[in-house]
Amino acid sequence: MRVAHALLPRIAVIALAGLLPLSAHAHCFVGIRFLPATLTIDDPCVADELSFPTVSWAKSGDVPPTSQLDISGEFSKRITENLGISIGTGWTRLTTPGSPTASGFDNLETTLQYQLVKDGQREFALSAAIGVEWGGTGASVVGSDSFSTITPSVLFGKGLGDLPDRMGWARPFALTGQIGYSFPTRTSTNSVDPDTGLSSSTPNPQFLTYGFTLQYSMPYLKSSVVDLDLPGFLNHLIPIVETQFATPVANKAGTGIGTTGTINPGVIWVGSYFQVGLEAIAPVNHASGTGVGVLAQLHLYLDDIFPTTIGRPLIGAQNGTAKQGN
Amino acid sequence: MRRLSALVGLLSLLCAPFTADAHALLDHANPRVGSTVAPAPTELLLWFTQKLEPAFSTVEVRDANGARVDDGRVQVDSSDATLLHVPLKPLGGGSYEVRWRVLSVDTHTTEGRFRFNVGK
Repeated sequence: MRVAHALLPRIAVIALAGLLPLSAHAHCFVGIRFLPATLTIDDPCVADELSFPTVSWAKSGDVPPTSQLDISGEFSKRITENLGISIGTGWTRLTTPGSPTASGFDNLETTLQYQLVKDGQREFALSAAIGVEWGGTGASVVGSDSFSTITPSVLFGKGLGDLPDRMGWARPFALTGQIGYSFPTRTSTNSVDPDTGLSSSTPNPQFLTYGFTLQYSMPYLKSSVVDLDLPGFLNHLIPIVETQFATPVANKAGTGIGTTGTINPGVIWVGSYFQVGLEAIAPVNHASGTGVGVLAQLHLYLDDIFPTTIGRPLIGAQNGTAKQGN
Repeated sequence: MRRLSALVGLLSLLCAPFTADAHALLDHANPRVGSTVAPAPTELLLWFTQKLEPAFSTVEVRDANGARVDDGRVQVDSSDATLLHVPLKPLGGGSYEVRWRVLSVDTHTTEGRFRFNVGK
């Protein structure tokens, strides 16, 4: 029983890996297109923003299943107009029937992101990022790794505003995506069986991580295609479906880990200073979880709340002149 | 626990009273976005979600041939700084494209475009 309990956090984290939101936060105007901060994957812009809290709940595919509650936050800051950094962490509680509840902080995560392209005419944005999960900064009891993981990734967003007028109804659609590759800084993790005293080594796989969103902007429909005189609340909504997957591609022999992922349908309400998102979490296979989880987030636009102080880039902030869309 | 305290502290800071202005987005227009109207309007009205800086706000209205049909003047309403008045030349039946670019008072620029139609 002690062995099972000792392994529980690790098993739960692996099983729920596909359910956890990646860092996901930026206030993103590309021409006339606004891409909201998405809850599950990141969006393709750098910005000054705060996501707090992000709350998620889901159940693993174990028998009995482990319920995982996460409460997290992330602060994003522009260093220059095109270079931003974000820092975030979270608190996790794991509850398994018949076992003591485990709780603690997750590892600290930082991301450096650079805006490569922002083409307003084509409603296209592209950025590159490198994220680091700093090993040993969180609680091992909730599965925080003792080693760091580095994830370079590319992020893109494309609005369909350049479709012809006869397809105006489709112009509010946008697609965003994030593709990355995760390298653990330690190739394996050693552990000792407390009952037998035998040591064992488990490989730490490298993962291809990828996710996409399909979204339909009611604000875009109203301001750029047709004003249907809908109630104001509806005109602030962006229905969205997000997906997120992780596939082990190297150093995976003997781990038994396969592709995990979730499909998250939901909606984002967009205001002038903040947005609120709510999504269901549907695992794509048993290894990704059981049942339907939930994900909610409050996201604050710091560049709009504090336009003259912390909402500006640290270097090269434009003073008294127009700044495009940021 | 210290990390949680820091996050709560930052949230408290954000909830404190502040003066802020956000991106100016188009709230609604007259003629309405995507609508067909008759008779032809003599003025385009654009309501935004934030107060505007008049000197840096521009609007162009063009007909199906690309010819400008606004008279080049854009005025912020004297009693409502979120409202732009755009006088129009006499319009015939057809489709018209509006392109706007505005500067809100906190120096954020935003832009947009839409069409309206004039019935014959």
